[in-house]
Amino acid sequence: MATSTTAVPLEETAPRRSEGQWAIVFRRFRRHRLAMFCVGLLSVLLLLSAAAPLIAPYERDEPNLTGRFLTPMGIDADGGLHILGTDHLGRDYATRLLYASRVSLGTAFTATLIASTIGILLGMLAGYFGGWVDTIISRVLEIVATFPTLLLLLILSVILVQNINAIPLPSWAASGLAFIFAVSEREARIIFAVILVLAFFGWTGTARLMRGMVLSVRENVYIESARALGASNLRILFRHVFPNALPPMIVDFTLGVNGTLVAESALSFLGFGIQDPTPTWGNMLGYAQSYMFQYPWMPLIPAMPILVASIAINYIGDGLRDALDPRQRG
Amino acid sequence: MAGYLARRFVQMLLVALVAAICSYGMLYLVPGGPIDQLLAERQNAGQNRISEDDIRRVRERFELDIYVPFRFTRWLIGWPAGPLPGGIGADWQVGCAVPGQMRLRYPDGRVEVVEEGCEVPVTMADLEGRKVSRGIVFGDFGISQVMLRGRPVTDLIMTRLPYTLYLMGASIFLSILIAVPIGVYSAVRQYSRFDYIMTTLAFIGASLPSFVFGIFAILLFSVLAKNAGLPYLPPGDAVGVRDYTIPWIGAVEAGSFLDRFLRFLMPCGVLTFINIAGWSRFVRGSMLEVLSLDYVRTARAKGVAERVVILKHALRNSLIPFVTLLAGILVALFSGALITETVFNWPGIGRLFIDALGRNDYNVVMALLIINVVLLLIGILITDILYTVVDPRIRLT
Repeated sequence: MATSTTAVPLEETAPRRSEGQWAIVFRRFRRHRLAMFCVGLLSVLLLLSAAAPLIAPYERDEPNLTGRFLTPMGIDADGGLHILGTDHLGRDYATRLLYASRVSLGTAFTATLIASTIGILLGMLAGYFGGWVDTIISRVLEIVATFPTLLLLLILSVILVQNINAIPLPSWAASGLAFIFAVSEREARIIFAVILVLAFFGWTGTARLMRGMVLSVRENVYIESARALGASNLRILFRHVFPNALPPMIVDFTLGVNGTLVAESALSFLGFGIQDPTPTWGNMLGYAQSYMFQYPWMPLIPAMPILVASIAINYIGDGLRDALDPRQRG
Repeated sequence: MAGYLARRFVQMLLVALVAAICSYGMLYLVPGGPIDQLLAERQNAGQNRISEDDIRRVRERFELDIYVPFRFTRWLIGWPAGPLPGGIGADWQVGCAVPGQMRLRYPDGRVEVVEEGCEVPVTMADLEGRKVSRGIVFGDFGISQVMLRGRPVTDLIMTRLPYTLYLMGASIFLSILIAVPIGVYSAVRQYSRFDYIMTTLAFIGASLPSFVFGIFAILLFSVLAKNAGLPYLPPGDAVGVRDYTIPWIGAVEAGSFLDRFLRFLMPCGVLTFINIAGWSRFVRGSMLEVLSLDYVRTARAKGVAERVVILKHALRNSLIPFVTLLAGILVALFSGALITETVFNWPGIGRLFIDALGRNDYNVVMALLIINVVLLLIGILITDILYTVVDPRIRLT
């Protein structure tokens, strides 16, 4: 049977180069105005904290007992201008705030990164292999879920911070961390202790989510065909299962960063987290609280970045959720 | 159902035991325990020489001279408190009061002293007459070593509990009262201006850390209002110590009902706001889900009044997932809100925990931790049972 074919010019049938998946996500994310604005805000904060040692006008820990509690734009006895004023020891607030953003944001990102990696790996193992692997991981998850998180967070933090020398952190890693956070090595060890504690409590939610995602992804036909083609478990897990289970994990990571940021601030605020000479938004706020009756502007200065970062990260997470949702078209 | 409950009960006991072991290990077995603390304290106080006797006494007081398994069982069930009936095992060794020392001489001439063996053992007979708690299983949490030198932890908890109970009780009650209508109305008028404002507020409220919110409240209602000569709220504590005057209201006597009420307003308000932010979103989501179900459409098609559809058909079913929050509420009622209580200097259980932790009063910390875990387990169990009550489709097997 002869089929008649009509000649069609090639230029017209050649499909337009199709948009990649990430291009679609990015295009959709850009439409979320508020989230884009928040990305801008967060980038400014990140840039400022990255450049902290370069743009900070004073030494971080330099006390000036004649110029304590200066108001914003106050001028000390030596004629130095303090844009955000000074704290209870006369240290420049703007300088400390810059370094603090580096410590606070850095801690939140690092801790969440560790927690998410652990959570994703364990969730993948539990969901993909099932059986006794799943039983063990799920039981551990259940038990950890019955622990009162905040109480344990505080207890562990106290114990670890009191015994920082007991944490086996090689000195090259300590100096690496010290470089990242722009602090001394001793301070870096305390920060590392806090990161450990935060990561220890952060992975369970991610693991549960990932397990659920993997359980649904692994039933897809393409997994079966990959196996039929002789792909190894490892290849299936990382080439096929992982990318398809990734989108909710990105949202989870974003919201996790906010959770960790708030948790670290709370710990340091209560005095159980990162300790004083190292500035964080939380411990600056903790000190400011004691002086807020005489100097009401003081708590506002460290509270603002916590607020801005927290709300910005949440909105970005919201935007990402919308952009990554395959049910939404366009 | 009975089989399920029995199984769950055994599981609960196991989890509680694991939690007890973990937390005991965490607090008592880490370096930097009481002895180290004491050394540091004495050294700071100028008494830089600590005699052997001192160390022995402290070791006895904190039971560090008893081996870990026995120490743990003494803490858990108050045993062993002496020799077995009939004097059996009076000479069994359960600990070591003075560890033996041995000099190690290395070939290169270094000398190191290591602990080896036991010079003065502690036997079961020695345990007789020592103070021992009846064991946490029987509700005795031992004595508070720092905060109330020597008085029972239970006393300490009992003095703080009422404050937490009424703060948390009132704020949870208010939150439910406000959050449910907001959530329902938001869902019924989805994408209306009201819904938009409420979801934005809830979003911000849920992402705002409670201490930042608390500090803003104090700034606004105490510091700024006072500076502006407006009526202000006292910023902390549950009861005042001095009389004070508030514009428009007049003199407030310390310890009076008005004083207590004014001090109660701010922490309660902050907690309520945070709860409303979370719960109204929860109710909204659950209500939206129910409103799209077939039986709601059927009810509307039958001509049931919209009011009845929403309040009777939809609302009752949308509140079923709300039951899951009850487990958390039970714990919250007891353990309070750590951070909010600390910000407002509210003398409740939450701040007790923070204080005890800050001053290394481990028995108090342990007691609160264990009570929390047990309450959470009970809460989860109650939730499961309640689920079958409110939703007959769910059966426990």
